[in-house]
Amino acid sequence: MTEFADMRTVYGETLVNIGDENPSVVVVGADTTDSLKTKQFGKKFPNRFFNVGIAEGNLITIAAGLANEGKTPFASTYAAFLPGRCVDQIRNAIAYPTRNGKNGLNVKMVVSHGGLSVGADGGSHQQIEDIAIMRAIPNIKVLIPADTIAVEKLTRLISQLYGPFYMRMTRSKTPIIHSQEQEFQLGKGIVLHDGSDCTIAACGIMVQMALDAAYALKQEGISCKVIDMFSIKPIDSDLLEKAARETGGIVTCEEHNIMAGFGSAVSEVTSEKYPVPIRLIGSRDQFGESARDSEISRLFEKHGMTSIHISNAVKDIRSKK
Amino acid sequence: MGLNYYNILKSVREARKLVIKGTTAAGSGHPGGSFSMAEIMGCMYYKFLRYDPKDPLWQDRDRLVLSKGHASPGLFSNLAVAGYFDKLEMETLRKFGSRLQGHPDFKCPGVEFCGGSLGLGLSFSIGMALAARIDGKTHHIYTIIGDGESDEGQVWEAAMAGSKFRLDNLTVFLDRNFIQQDDYTERVMPLDEELVGDDISEMWKNAARWKVGDKWRSFGWNVIEIDGHRIEQIVKAVHSALQTRGTPSLIVARTIKGKSVEHMEDNPKWHGVAPNPKISPIIELELDCQFLIAPSIIAGDMSNLENEVKRAVHGRADFIHLDVMDGQFVPNKTFDHEKIKQLRPITYIPFDTHLMISEPVKHVRDYVNAGSDIITVHAEVCDEPSFGEIHDILRSNDVGLGLAINPETELPPWTEKFIPDLDQLIIMSVVPGKSGQKYIESTHEKTQRISKLLAERNFQGLIEADGGVDLSNVESCFLDGARVFVGGSAIVGQKDVRLTIMEFRKHLMHARRKLLINKTHSLGGQELVNQWIDLHEVGKKKTELLQIVKEAGFT
Repeated sequence: MTEFADMRTVYGETLVNIGDENPSVVVVGADTTDSLKTKQFGKKFPNRFFNVGIAEGNLITIAAGLANEGKTPFASTYAAFLPGRCVDQIRNAIAYPTRNGKNGLNVKMVVSHGGLSVGADGGSHQQIEDIAIMRAIPNIKVLIPADTIAVEKLTRLISQLYGPFYMRMTRSKTPIIHSQEQEFQLGKGIVLHDGSDCTIAACGIMVQMALDAAYALKQEGISCKVIDMFSIKPIDSDLLEKAARETGGIVTCEEHNIMAGFGSAVSEVTSEKYPVPIRLIGSRDQFGESARDSEISRLFEKHGMTSIHISNAVKDIRSKK
Repeated sequence: MGLNYYNILKSVREARKLVIKGTTAAGSGHPGGSFSMAEIMGCMYYKFLRYDPKDPLWQDRDRLVLSKGHASPGLFSNLAVAGYFDKLEMETLRKFGSRLQGHPDFKCPGVEFCGGSLGLGLSFSIGMALAARIDGKTHHIYTIIGDGESDEGQVWEAAMAGSKFRLDNLTVFLDRNFIQQDDYTERVMPLDEELVGDDISEMWKNAARWKVGDKWRSFGWNVIEIDGHRIEQIVKAVHSALQTRGTPSLIVARTIKGKSVEHMEDNPKWHGVAPNPKISPIIELELDCQFLIAPSIIAGDMSNLENEVKRAVHGRADFIHLDVMDGQFVPNKTFDHEKIKQLRPITYIPFDTHLMISEPVKHVRDYVNAGSDIITVHAEVCDEPSFGEIHDILRSNDVGLGLAINPETELPPWTEKFIPDLDQLIIMSVVPGKSGQKYIESTHEKTQRISKLLAERNFQGLIEADGGVDLSNVESCFLDGARVFVGGSAIVGQKDVRLTIMEFRKHLMHARRKLLINKTHSLGGQELVNQWIDLHEVGKKKTELLQIVKEAGFT
């Protein structure tokens, strides 16, 4: 039986642990600190915790000011509002300022409620443009963890690495995919399952779907390489090139608009390094809509984002080879 | 401690010239908003900020965040004057490969915030102030925001946060120049009250229409409202902000966009346009032609000098001129430092103390401690060592250094080494000793001669005309080279000091325009004169200038 866990809970606990070890860590929130589980950091370190209210532009820019003074701020709210609400502040207050060879200010933007799986809140709250937005801004690194193991390790990792990071989590509980021993390196994908017929590269909650598709395809005698590409920027171009050479085709899976998102990032790499057929699984330039938890699978179905769609994309690639 | 008035004044003037140099060379940029905040910048860099140009990121430095980033020439020029980099670098402004970007950028040493996108600087400053609090640091964060910038909602998000977090280590200036890119602020998005009619000065005159201070007060800030071009008001406001506990402070600085250059003043066009290279030399001369009025209170009721100071304050005098006579150097006696100490609490307007006393070196400390901002001593009773000592005492107390010469006196040779550092030279045009004497005509020729000589010797201060100056001769005194005008019976002796000072300013403005027209004509003939006059679009300036041209017989 697959074990599920809550990303935000792990994020909140990890922050408290990091806060103990690293006094430069501060946390800034925007009236969602209970939901993001950053409140517990505030309980433990009241002097290093700031709730600025429902004001995301202010949240980001105050975090930038704190970072400018040597703090390591974690700024958190929902993806719909960060980056959705404050692209200018992210660009000009965090990404742009560069001195002494340090590119951008040291702010960690960690959000929850990315993608369609937000569900009931509806299309206004289902952020499917954030990868595109954040990827296009110089100096910003973009991470999308697939499970709580990744959340914990990546939260630690970005607290130790200099620079602005964007990390997107999921509202609902997610299956545990990685082992506790799994290492996470910036810019390195993780091969979860090896195969020779096709590659499925995925991020976030789509990684589990990719594994499900690979398992189903295996029953049909198709061998797929499955990669967790949690590091979208920088992206593991060596691994992608190798996968393209070895398997001759790639299916990308993202909980995001396929325009300028993760699939586009993969295509940018392979089209230059080793062009192979690519199929992009993701929302096809359409907003989401409300769906209760029990109905989210139908929402994904409507957007063509299920393991069956992935399997079909793999078969489509194989038929073109 | 004095106001450091002259040092601020001289640095502000130099910075303004650098703004003109930089934007002219770049062919673009924002001189208007650089000039409206020029005196604020001056008080910051030459009075309040603790910084080290050799160690720009020194941890305990005070921070100045320029949120209205388009005024970057106004920031860069002061960083150059403050010693962060060579002044010549201003000519690289906005050019490829320059550290001086179109908007403030960390590429330039001394810049604390990468501005440009408006509405961000105050939030950034709040982050800085919170960090300082966490670390128990005592440095202060100063932020300059614009009035057009205040259209941005984030300014008000930050206003709420500054208040919530009780950031008394944060002081914000609102550069209230009433103009934004499209038009007057009150037309684009009123901060005070919607502007009716074209006359921007209406907003200045009627304090009942000012609402922006109330907005900030209602957000929980300590609000101080001042004239943002008066150094003493800025200094007073900052002192008060620094003493405030438990809330951040917002200083509403009412300013004039393009201040100090007549054709730029209050004209929305100069928000973001660079001067024509042909016009720039005229602008630089205009910046050298600013003038100050210093009423001499001994011309009034000696039994109630407090009231005379108040009349001068009400008249918006630039200095209060205090004639100290000891009955030895001059036959009369007026008052001494004890009296000055009593007068000091009445106003922050600089006390321009003129010591007509013997052996000034023995007494100068008393006059520093009494609250003088500028102290002038007579060359007749000094020599090189004693004046050197006076120089050191005044400099270490932020007090301006003045030297005076009597009608019969020429500048003694020993003064030469002090000239580049001298703030003020008083050329007496009456024999000192009493008020109400007639101007000695030969002083005109003497002032012209000395003015030329001083210019050759790198004099950066101002010549003060003192003795018998009135409305009939103040224009000639200006044209001679004087820039500060002491008015005894001609001002303080008049019934309405305020009206009289306004009249003095009108005359001086007329003289300045005449001088500038002459200079323009010598640079480029009638064509350049016409071009320059055409720039004076606001109000009646153009008509008045054409009248002067007619008088001068250039047409």
